[in-house]
Amino acid sequence: MLFHRPETLENAIGIMQAGPVRPLAGGTDLYPGLRDGPPPAALIDLSRIAGLRGITREDGGWRIGATTTWTDIVRADLPALFDGLRAAAREVGSVQIQNAGTVAGNICNASPAADGVPALLTLDAEVSLAGPGGSRRLPLGDFITGVRRTALGEGEIVTALHVPDAPGGRGAFVKLGARRYLVISIAMVSAVVIPAQDGTIGEARIAVGACSAVARRLPGLEAALAGCAPEGIATVVAAADLSALTPIDDVRGSAGYRLDAVREILGRVIVAALGREG
Amino acid sequence: MKITSPKVSRRSLLRGSAAAAAASLAHARQVSAQNAPEESAFEAWIDLRLTVNGQAHALTVEPRVTLLDALRERMQLTGTKKGCNRGECGACTVLMDGRRVNSCLVLAASAEGRKITTIEGLADGDTPHPVQRAFAEADAFQCGFCTSGQIMSAMACIEEGHTGSPEEIREWMSGNLCRCSAYPQITAAVAAAAEELG
Amino acid sequence: MNEPLPYPAAPVRHGSNSGQPMTRRDGRLKVTGAATYAADTHPEGLLHAALAVSSIARGRVSFLDVEAAKAHPGVVEVITPQNRPALAHDPDSKTLPFSFRMDALQNDRVRYAGQPIAVVVAETLEAATEGARLLAPRYEAEAARIGFGNGLPEPAPMVGVGAPGRAETGDLEAGFAAASQIVETGYETPAQYHNAMEPHAIVAAWDGDHLSIDMPNQAIAMSQASFAAFFGIPVQNVSLRSPFLGGGFGSKAILAGPQVLCILAARMLGRPVKLVLTRAQMYGPVGHRGATRQTLRLGTDAQGRLTALEHHAVSETSTFDDFIEPAANASLNLYASPAILARHDAMRMDTGTPGPMRAPGEASGSAALECAMDEAAQAAGLDPLTFRLINYAETDPISGKPYSAKELRACYMRGAESFGWAGRPLAPRQMRDENGLLTGWGMGSALFPAPMFQAEARAVLRADGSALVETSGADMGQGAWTALAQLAADGLGLDIDQVEFRSGSTDQPDGGIAGGSGHTATAGGALHAAGRDVVARLTELATADPESPLFGAGNSGVTARDGRLVRNDDESRSEAYADILARAGLEALEGTGRGARDPANAEARAMFSHGAVFAEVKVDPELGQIRVSRMVGAFAAGRIVNPRLARSQLYGGMIWGLSFALHEEAVHDLRSGRVMNADLAGYHVPVNADTPAMEALLIDEDDRFVNDLGIKGVGEIGITGSVGAIANAIWHATGVRVRRFPIRIEDVLGL
Repeated sequence: MLFHRPETLENAIGIMQAGPVRPLAGGTDLYPGLRDGPPPAALIDLSRIAGLRGITREDGGWRIGATTTWTDIVRADLPALFDGLRAAAREVGSVQIQNAGTVAGNICNASPAADGVPALLTLDAEVSLAGPGGSRRLPLGDFITGVRRTALGEGEIVTALHVPDAPGGRGAFVKLGARRYLVISIAMVSAVVIPAQDGTIGEARIAVGACSAVARRLPGLEAALAGCAPEGIATVVAAADLSALTPIDDVRGSAGYRLDAVREILGRVIVAALGREG
Repeated sequence: MKITSPKVSRRSLLRGSAAAAAASLAHARQVSAQNAPEESAFEAWIDLRLTVNGQAHALTVEPRVTLLDALRERMQLTGTKKGCNRGECGACTVLMDGRRVNSCLVLAASAEGRKITTIEGLADGDTPHPVQRAFAEADAFQCGFCTSGQIMSAMACIEEGHTGSPEEIREWMSGNLCRCSAYPQITAAVAAAAEELG
Repeated sequence: MNEPLPYPAAPVRHGSNSGQPMTRRDGRLKVTGAATYAADTHPEGLLHAALAVSSIARGRVSFLDVEAAKAHPGVVEVITPQNRPALAHDPDSKTLPFSFRMDALQNDRVRYAGQPIAVVVAETLEAATEGARLLAPRYEAEAARIGFGNGLPEPAPMVGVGAPGRAETGDLEAGFAAASQIVETGYETPAQYHNAMEPHAIVAAWDGDHLSIDMPNQAIAMSQASFAAFFGIPVQNVSLRSPFLGGGFGSKAILAGPQVLCILAARMLGRPVKLVLTRAQMYGPVGHRGATRQTLRLGTDAQGRLTALEHHAVSETSTFDDFIEPAANASLNLYASPAILARHDAMRMDTGTPGPMRAPGEASGSAALECAMDEAAQAAGLDPLTFRLINYAETDPISGKPYSAKELRACYMRGAESFGWAGRPLAPRQMRDENGLLTGWGMGSALFPAPMFQAEARAVLRADGSALVETSGADMGQGAWTALAQLAADGLGLDIDQVEFRSGSTDQPDGGIAGGSGHTATAGGALHAAGRDVVARLTELATADPESPLFGAGNSGVTARDGRLVRNDDESRSEAYADILARAGLEALEGTGRGARDPANAEARAMFSHGAVFAEVKVDPELGQIRVSRMVGAFAAGRIVNPRLARSQLYGGMIWGLSFALHEEAVHDLRSGRVMNADLAGYHVPVNADTPAMEALLIDEDDRFVNDLGIKGVGEIGITGSVGAIANAIWHATGVRVRRFPIRIEDVLGL
């Protein structure tokens, strides 16, 4: 096994170009996987590329570097818009995992139960990629294409995520699991609500994880919530069409339970994102 | 960052571009057995300097060696335990640059240049660290196998300031499994140590 | 109530050490990382072994790519059934004591998923691991028989470790005929795995025909003899060290194939070999708690008294050996009933053979019994505690014998008082907390036998008045190193700081097995007796010596205290141990002791520890999320040697009960027969945040019959009672009776 440890993005891309190599960031998903199968011919450790880590302000929003860890998110001074992402960050495994695991690693791993994805979807996050053909940027929803499948091209790496500003917006997130921590989720719901002047919902963004191959936004529900007063949320959620969700029966929970639970959590998360006590 | 100078003279099979070669470690295929364990001919070895408990350790390992196995099998620092080797139990918790991590999920090569602290690095000579003492006094372990990881996690938990209440301690100490289930005593020990350390 | 038997004439005096809440003597080693567990051993020239295990549950291995594994740099040897050297003992025989048929590459058959099928030995752990992967086995697979629907049913004449599979008293049908109400119910418990934090590990080294082994071991002398048999060498040629065990819970009391294979590899290669199971490999050859399906019938009369109690368990075992979880026997010793029947059947499946796991039989059986009792109380309209008091057994229901001691009533009262049980509404779904969560209270009775085994110990008083005591005991976390030393010091009449305690290796006299909650009583009894033997010899020396102030006092006329012998008739006349030895010109004085039960007491009395557990749960009414918020346990287990350590044991047991009730379950893929959650991510045990506020009360109990020291055990009883208490609290919170463990959050919504 070859092991690369570049310090600049240019070098990293050069290495990626030269031959098949597995990118390694925090390693919290990669290493357990390594123990179940053949070792990759080569690994490239991206954790030493200085510009890849950290959260910075950029024009019209925020840039989250690819190797920013979950703990970095938890500790960052971010507006309430990020409350859901911050809560999700606390649910990624243990503190030990949060200290190593990275935001980009979570989206590249593309597990249906990836804890960070629903919150990032509700932040309208976009993904920056760099590769031999240059750089490109695409919405997170287009980046994750299936179970453990992404739009990453040959030799490409994720360099950052971008979150546009949403003045007044607030996020919320709930993960349902059978144990308090270190748990693979039964269902996850994330929401961002941008209130209107009159206290109703101006804009709502809702995403559900662990209930479909890829975490999904619920555009129908989002549309129905626009203009909704706090008292009306329960009714809208009760009537929401959740047919986009296709949860499975497994040892963690039945499909029927997952759907019921999601509907219940939806109500709570939306109310919380509106800044009201659930 | 200083890149460890690989013993490349006899390991010349570099791959990739010049830039990659310059930036990479000694990703070289060893063609002769010289300077390695005599009976072996491994694919590639790298020379590392790891800073553990303030001491520099030089070691030559394969890149697939984890920090945990480097500590335990190469450096004889066996206080750090392997409970699952998959980041699911926390028994191998060490501090890396002051933050707690599962050392089974870190490659030794990735730990180069980082400051590693293990359970062996806490006591001041013969005087145990207050966190260690609190664990002993609260009977915060039974078999002791998860204890190194619990204590390293507790060090970080206290440093992070997550000791405001028993509930907060329980929550932030939940990355370390204890099959003997000494959890109530672990919570008490962390609270006592946090108070002592102010 | 039967006429009580007379008390023993002269109860043994306790010294000043036992009863003290001392901290662990090995605590400093454990908090500094200096305690060395087996896998921490690095002898010169060490090789690393890795197991390849089967991914099918039944069939044969048709191909292993040995060449590929051997070609991997660093790999030294690959051991398969083709080249595995002969053993002096057949791994499929059962002639060794307490042994199970094991898989040591005796042929190419696969009888469960996770069975060892090859061993790869290499210069490094990484090379061994990769070599094992490169074997890429191919199989001729046969259909796996997994699950109660696919297993092979069979009668179970024997259950557990040599207990009869059927026990009865009274006329069951007459009992049911006399009942005004009959509750018939059933409970299922899953396969569970011990999952000690320390995976099984062994380092083996040969020097000629002398074998040195480092391994965590709950039964040191027995293992020594077994290994000697496997390798055809004299017993004394096997040195086994087990100074620290990273948890055992029963799984390290029984030898398994991987250990034999590691020793074999070391002999083949002439170098020390280390083998550590991966976490996934802990779900195969090293035992588990077999799944059960239990049915219970409880008849009660108009006053709520049991008229008949029937408990039937079907317990999973492997296709090639027997360990039948003796679950139904939980109903034999706890509640008074004129008629009781406990019976068992086996269900053979393609799994590794189950084995004893913390409270084997008692845990699963208590879970079902305590829930069934709750159902019967509910049906009778009685408070669950009242119902249990109505059915309080004054004598052992199955044997009619008096108990050696039984303070269960005090446990009920003290536990209920501390918990605040009074005022609990009878009906479910009556309580909510300030956050609107459904709140419920439940309880269960705890019971565990108080067995003793055989142990020997040696005590040596040294010229300076300090002592060395030895027995090959095992400290797997229960605190044996401390509690046993306390008892030894008491026997010697010394302060514990004057006592050097050596244990955990075959260099010492046989300390018996650490299991069945009988280790402290047995090994502790031996140590205490060895100390008293030394004191008796010392007394003989002193009282026969005209120069001694004790001259003429006679054996019964002195007391050993603080390193001195003191005349009973005149406390001002005493002599230090060191002085007695010096005058006698002795460098040391040795005594020996044995720990075992008095056969007459064993015949006459039923001996158990008892307890009562109360639990509070909070349930989210819409999501079903369950949180155990409070647990109170009150336990009477004879004389408590060290309350600090006993409390830790009881907490641990109670949290195991929580884990049983809500978390633990090995899930098999019915097609492949593999455990799908063979790790610690999918196989849940509680994390710190899952544990409730807890209290463990120690109830005084003076048991004059259980053994000279009045000691029972606390290692396993905590899990009994706790499972039922939590399940019953969930019913009380929600009104939903879940009859399958673990209780999942969706179950309580009644979906």
